[in-house]
Amino acid sequence: MYGLSLEAVRELIGHYNSIAMAIIEIEKLSKSYRVYQKQEGLLAAVRGLWHREYRDVEAVRTVDLKVEQGEFVAFLGPNGAGKTTTLKLLSGVIYPTSGTARVMGHVPWLRDNDYRRRFALVMGQKNQLWWDLPAQESFRLHERIYQIDKKEFTRSLNELSDLLQVQKLLGRPVRELSLGERMKMELIAALLHSPEVLFLDEPTIGLDVVAQHNIQQFLRYYQQQRKTTILLTSHYMKDIAALCQRVVVITDGAIKFDGSLSGIIDSFSGSKILKLQLSDGQSAEGLERFAEVTSVVLPKVALRCARAEVPKMLAAILQHYQVDDVAVEDPPLEDVIADLYQKSN
Amino acid sequence: MFALSLTNRVACWWMIFRIALEERLAYRGDFALGTLMRFLPIITQVFLWTAVFEAVGSGSSTARLAGYSLDDMIAYYLLSMLARAFSSMPGLASTIAKQIREGEVKKYIVQPIDLIGFMLLGRAAHKIAYYTVATLPFALVFYLCRGYFASGWPSSEILIAFVLSCVLGFLLGFFMDLCIGLVGFWFLEVSSLLFIYMLLNFFLSGHMFPLDLLSEPWKTIVDWLPFKYMAYFPAAIFLGKIPAEQLWWQVGTEALWLLGLIGLSRVLYSRGLKRYSGYGG
Amino acid sequence: MTPCETKAKSKHPSYGKVFLMFARNSLVRDMMFRANFLIESVSSVCWAIMNVGLYWIIFEHTTSIGRDTGWGKYEFFVFMGTTWIINSLMQTFFMPNSEEFSELIRTGGLDFAMLKPIDTQFLISLRKVSWSSLSNLLFGILLMVISLAHLMTRAENPWHFQPSIVVLYPLYIACGVAILYSLMICLAATSVWLGRNQTLYDFWFYITNFSRYPMEIYARGWGLPLLFVFTFVIPVLVVVNVPARLLAQPLTPRASWEWPLAGFTLLATVSSLNVSRWVFQKALRSYRSASS
Repeated sequence: MYGLSLEAVRELIGHYNSIAMAIIEIEKLSKSYRVYQKQEGLLAAVRGLWHREYRDVEAVRTVDLKVEQGEFVAFLGPNGAGKTTTLKLLSGVIYPTSGTARVMGHVPWLRDNDYRRRFALVMGQKNQLWWDLPAQESFRLHERIYQIDKKEFTRSLNELSDLLQVQKLLGRPVRELSLGERMKMELIAALLHSPEVLFLDEPTIGLDVVAQHNIQQFLRYYQQQRKTTILLTSHYMKDIAALCQRVVVITDGAIKFDGSLSGIIDSFSGSKILKLQLSDGQSAEGLERFAEVTSVVLPKVALRCARAEVPKMLAAILQHYQVDDVAVEDPPLEDVIADLYQKSN
Repeated sequence: MFALSLTNRVACWWMIFRIALEERLAYRGDFALGTLMRFLPIITQVFLWTAVFEAVGSGSSTARLAGYSLDDMIAYYLLSMLARAFSSMPGLASTIAKQIREGEVKKYIVQPIDLIGFMLLGRAAHKIAYYTVATLPFALVFYLCRGYFASGWPSSEILIAFVLSCVLGFLLGFFMDLCIGLVGFWFLEVSSLLFIYMLLNFFLSGHMFPLDLLSEPWKTIVDWLPFKYMAYFPAAIFLGKIPAEQLWWQVGTEALWLLGLIGLSRVLYSRGLKRYSGYGG
Repeated sequence: MTPCETKAKSKHPSYGKVFLMFARNSLVRDMMFRANFLIESVSSVCWAIMNVGLYWIIFEHTTSIGRDTGWGKYEFFVFMGTTWIINSLMQTFFMPNSEEFSELIRTGGLDFAMLKPIDTQFLISLRKVSWSSLSNLLFGILLMVISLAHLMTRAENPWHFQPSIVVLYPLYIACGVAILYSLMICLAATSVWLGRNQTLYDFWFYITNFSRYPMEIYARGWGLPLLFVFTFVIPVLVVVNVPARLLAQPLTPRASWEWPLAGFTLLATVSSLNVSRWVFQKALRSYRSASS
């Protein structure tokens, strides 16, 4: 028989709790704004002085979401879908209209100092570093504000600037840095206090391919090492494909899909792409009788058809044409997502 | 042919004017507050000068200070505020300097728009937008303060000169600010120059006190500078402080200053553009 | 991270050290643009000199502001010196920040301030220090010292140094700054509701304009309601009046209302700070964060 000590029981319970409670829990979270409806024309502008018309915009509507410790989750959706609003709600920057959220057991919008020491938000389009000063001065300010231990601070700063290869730029005024370099500094600023949860809002926006790639690599490495929980929004499918196991698609403020990247295609695309290699001398004429022809570069032809029709279609085509090779593929992810966005509009 | 191009131009000007007006009216909160606030300093001026006159004349209502009775003094501040509402050009010079610095001025080289004309229309629109909202509070304040205008309405000749001097004041203020902004073609940072100008303008225009309070030789010097037309001059005309035989002479001098500044701004603009395109932007 | 690993960090960072960091960073920044720094210092002193000039001209024509108020030329210049000291403290520590506060609200940059594990009002109010504005502090002190010297050496009723003033004057200067700060942060916070707020500075100027004159001048006719409002509702009148009066006017005889007023000023300071705190929190709640 095993005799369990009190400490062991406590530890077990603690362990159990950490499993049972997701690190981020969102329930029925909604946020709506009132916006002023600007009227066209001069007369309307004059009238606007006394009387204004408002309209309620629901940026986020009844979102439910659970994220476990160590997950790397991507938010995907068109502009204005509510991704950034969700991140801001989780950061406690704005108050929800209704619903609840807990991150590591904290209610974000209470903006408890303990909570604020445990997460970070990086926004690709805004910067928080002092514009005219070298980045290291801003970092030192962070050291004070986040009460980072002196030794720990030096170690983190060295490690991060090593990984991002910016050691030589630490002493240069931020305004003289390129966009990519500045983004790296923003990342360092956000990671110095070793946050357990990290929110990234379009961290690679506007960067060139090399800089994007660098930041992806860094994030992947960092996340693997630290098992930090990361929520990322991005418009670059490459970012998402390279980093995230889980994708949450948001359109019109609501979650439309939650699963793996390849799962998106299964759930949203009813069609498949048939790629045929025709035998010598065969022409592609008449193929449009069977399915939508998307490209013809003889001897190769691509057709799109409904998923359920694939076997029937193939049989029919093989009856009428001489075909050397056949491949059935999923449509490209970008196309599926573009379709998805368009539908939501 | 000529008539067509003229209507085209007028249509273009009207468009610019309208857009500026709409932009201006969009910020309602700003507007209402701003107009209301403008009258607050008058209140403190009334109390300050009442206290000063009390000490000067030991309480008698006929006390005079440099020829001004207490009523005159308050009326002066009200009128000079009205004049400043025409002649002040907040942010004009710095906007132009910024456009030069950030290369936005290219748009005036590329597009068939004249920078000076465009700016002037924009300002006129801003002012008119301002007056549409501000007329009511202005009228109210003047009505409430009608007691300070002891001698009633001045003669129609003086009224005409007053209105004319306000309009000239608007143009003079515009072209002065414009010239300072255009100096930005040569010196990228005009803020210090602008500050000196604002300081002089504030002190020497008569915005802070009637220039008659100055002792010689300052009074004569200030008389020969253009700043006084921005605030002192219209107010002094209305209050009959300008001797009748000098009135039109001085309005003429103001017009000459205006012509000079228009010429100067044209020269600065064309030279500046040449210099700008010479450097390749 | 298990609970035992979390080191016992105090809930709040050291505000003093953070403030020193702000001050240091601002100085580093100011020194990067030295020419600008110089111009700003010189021009703000010029502005102050012009103001003195105006009253110099007025005192050419009169001997005092109001009859029997005790505000003669040099007493009034002590008053002005106090005004400049308080204003320069405002401009050095709070003005650039509340100006930027409106801008942060407009651009959505406030997000970052709200994320930091430090009091947001503290962070917003003291982030930047405009060192060049301290030139006016020197000017104010200089003006005050010269005027006091004049008052000390005049034949009739000369000014005497009272030891208590060493404590009381700085205390009431601090109260004045705190009251003005509260008003300013409340005004800046209105940008959350009103959007772009260019008139903020104007409003600030016009309201504080009331505080620049001895309060006796309002004590008549329809000035009384103003006196009441700007003493008890928006207490800007006590900001300069109380410390300046303590310094410039002889301790005896004191009018019966002066000591209660001094006591009230302390109360007004505490309540202003509380109100500003409340408005600030309200504003944060209504902040909607400009989307990128």
